[in-house]
Amino acid sequence: MTPKISVRRALAILVAGLIACLVGPAVASAHPLGNFSINHLAEVSVSPDRVDVHYVLDQAEIPTFQERDLSDGEVLARKRAEVDKRLVLTVDGRKVALVAAGKPVLTHPAGAGGLHTTRLELPLRAMVSSPGRVELRDDTFPGRVGWHAVVPRPAAGTAVRSDVPAADPTNRLRRYPQDALSSPADVRVANLAVAPGDGTLDAPGSDRAISGGGDGEGREDVLSRAFSDAAAGKGVLLVLLLTAFAWGALHALSPGHGKAMVAAYLVGTRGTARHAVALGATVTVTHTAGVFLLGVVALGLSEYILPEDLYPWLNLISGLMVLGVGAYVLRKNVLRRRAHHHHHHHDHDHDHDHGHHHHHGPDELSWRGILAMGTAAGIIPCPSALVVLLGAVAQGEIALGMLMIVAFSVGLAATLTILGLAVVSAGRAITRLNIPAGFVTAIPALSALLIVGVGLVLTLQAVPRVA
Amino acid sequence: MRARRLFAVVLSFAVAVAVFSATRGDERAAAGPPSVGGLASDDLRPSADTDARIAALQRDVRAGRTAAAPALADAYLQKVRETGDASFYTRADTLLREALARNRFDADALVEAATLAAARHDFRGALALAQRARAAQPGTLAPLPILVDSLVELGRYGAAERALQRLVDLKPNLTAYARISYIRELYGDLPGAIDAIERAVSAGGPVPENVAYVQSLLGGLELARGRLGAARHAYDAALAAMPSYAPAAAGRARLAAAEGDLPDAIARWRRVVDRLPLPEYVIGLGETELAAGRRAAGLRDLELVRAQQKLLAGAGVNTDVELAIFEADHGSRARGVRLAHAAWSNAPSIRSADALGWALTRAGRPEAGLRWAHRALRLGTLDPSMRYHAGIAALAAGRTDEGRSQLRLAIAHGLAAQPLHLARAREALR
Repeated sequence: MTPKISVRRALAILVAGLIACLVGPAVASAHPLGNFSINHLAEVSVSPDRVDVHYVLDQAEIPTFQERDLSDGEVLARKRAEVDKRLVLTVDGRKVALVAAGKPVLTHPAGAGGLHTTRLELPLRAMVSSPGRVELRDDTFPGRVGWHAVVPRPAAGTAVRSDVPAADPTNRLRRYPQDALSSPADVRVANLAVAPGDGTLDAPGSDRAISGGGDGEGREDVLSRAFSDAAAGKGVLLVLLLTAFAWGALHALSPGHGKAMVAAYLVGTRGTARHAVALGATVTVTHTAGVFLLGVVALGLSEYILPEDLYPWLNLISGLMVLGVGAYVLRKNVLRRRAHHHHHHHDHDHDHDHGHHHHHGPDELSWRGILAMGTAAGIIPCPSALVVLLGAVAQGEIALGMLMIVAFSVGLAATLTILGLAVVSAGRAITRLNIPAGFVTAIPALSALLIVGVGLVLTLQAVPRVA
Repeated sequence: MRARRLFAVVLSFAVAVAVFSATRGDERAAAGPPSVGGLASDDLRPSADTDARIAALQRDVRAGRTAAAPALADAYLQKVRETGDASFYTRADTLLREALARNRFDADALVEAATLAAARHDFRGALALAQRARAAQPGTLAPLPILVDSLVELGRYGAAERALQRLVDLKPNLTAYARISYIRELYGDLPGAIDAIERAVSAGGPVPENVAYVQSLLGGLELARGRLGAARHAYDAALAAMPSYAPAAAGRARLAAAEGDLPDAIARWRRVVDRLPLPEYVIGLGETELAAGRRAAGLRDLELVRAQQKLLAGAGVNTDVELAIFEADHGSRARGVRLAHAAWSNAPSIRSADALGWALTRAGRPEAGLRWAHRALRLGTLDPSMRYHAGIAALAAGRTDEGRSQLRLAIAHGLAAQPLHLARAREALR
């Protein structure tokens, strides 16, 4: 059976990423639910022969600090003991023991104030036979503030009706809703009515039953399913890529994507349409490369370096590059102005004029600048793009993930390119008008100053984070 | 930007908690809206379970009844008093900003915004907002409680009393009586303070937490008077109203220490800290462990306060009375002086004067320390921590008679609840 996928589900990936973008890059900040919160989530899926529970713990800075003298092994043992004691599975009225169903993953992501947090994922399982009523009660860490949720998931071979919602807005406790009109979840019990079926889940809050592809690992969520489904059906793939493109295009409009720099650069260097397109292409390439680089770091080198540690450095590099480009454009403008002192009659032919006074042609210089400018704008990868890539990799759909990142980056670049073209043609229109020459020649110089200013601000912002 | 603002909120929560409990020999956190436990700005709330009330108001606001937003913010602030869950400050903040953007003179929103500002330790801001609320709706009583709290925290006791008198004349309820009790306590009138807090208890409040809070305050006053049985009774009543209520559970730990049962006190402190590791409670645990001779464990637990301080420093917050005293006692004395100076300029109350005096004394300047201690005691407060600080300063400054009598006053008014300082006071008296 080839599972059908709705556009809505395809959008879920993008929504997940969009949320990531709103939350912002993973720079060290205090835990959103307070620096002494202990947040936990238990995903439960019921198959005909077993119950899978995926227990996730996200412990903020202070409780993590309280365990600073313990080795990872000891911390793990403590958490296991708490889960053994207080995470209770009842099947058809009888208590059933949950046993480990895979390697637990314990990490210590960086938190605020140079402190760390604790993240644990604990796969558990209980073997049962054709369960009817399943109750999962999560009383772990009683009395601690935080996000507490029990979330049902569909599984192959069963039709499940749940009394608690199946939605997890936290993406397994990685981010928390900031909505002023909702409280942190405090769901500690889920009651599931189970019948034989084909992987459906009926839960409050969803207008219809979610059908599960059902690999039975209990790790299925909307995001992951969308990946496998997209890989299976080509129509969906097109929708996904188009949406990624559109999203990238829209995303470029949010602050901090170098729009001002790009526009100022094109004005400052009197760029042409070709320059604008080249600038867009450079952004695509560098942004894609940046996301892939971060993905490699996140997947392969996470023991040595955390992706979020790279962000301050990328910001710094970007700031310095903008500063350099700005200085270069400024210098070029100054040289040109000096040239004007000798050639007043050449007022309307700057580039030509400029070319006569230097050994390299204008294009050669501009290309180098465009490369630097595009790199500066594209080098800071959007964290949501990274989320999409890592989600795809987690599902074994690496090629699809990479494709989506490319589509996203192309969208990003498209907006910048269109903006650049608009600036270029506006510039021509201005030249055609009879505006006093002094004013026209001043604009590129002002633009160059603007670039220098932006670069200075970016660099100054990045320096304290690196230090 | 968003994350940074959130961070600031969480940190100010910690600051607020710490500041409100600077007199930690004493149950009384402070007048005003302490972060865990505390008095609401008004008591017009329907008596419903806070969670249910939040859910109902969230539905109202979502359905477009934006007039309910201040009430929802109020319920969020109550939720923090009950659980210490600081994330609700952020939600309340968002709601109130939106409400005030819609109408700058929304009196309800102004009162709640003042309450939130005070909880975040911005007493000048709270005062200004409370005044604006009065101007927006002349004759209303709702801004008076938070006005009183801000004035007290800013050291303007006379003005606070006048505002409080108007409140109690027109509306003698739990909110008013609890504040009267606090002012009387500041003036060293313990029987008067107990009388007022008992009235607050019998007046009752709309949610169990209100009563649990004033019962915990009663426990602290009885502890200061040395009536340990009465203190136990009050704390247990608070815990009956709200099981595992942190201010009452902490009171039981202090009581156990006052009774001389340090192992029991340590076990109780640990249970409190395991649930809610606020600096105030962590200091209680660490100092009790030090007094019991468990030096390694005590120092290890006090390290946790330093971790919290890192979080504060990370946000550039340095106006903390509680942490100033902690630094003076257990950390860098120079930093203690810096923190206390900042606290004094932020809110020149007798408690920040006490912190500055103690920081100076510990930094080797007992004469200056004693001058500030006198300023802190100018109302006649019998607070055991303040008297202890003054006593040690006087002895170090060579004023033996005053030093001894201050230490005796501290011991007579509940210093036993802080066994570490009791031991030091006794040693100094020998």
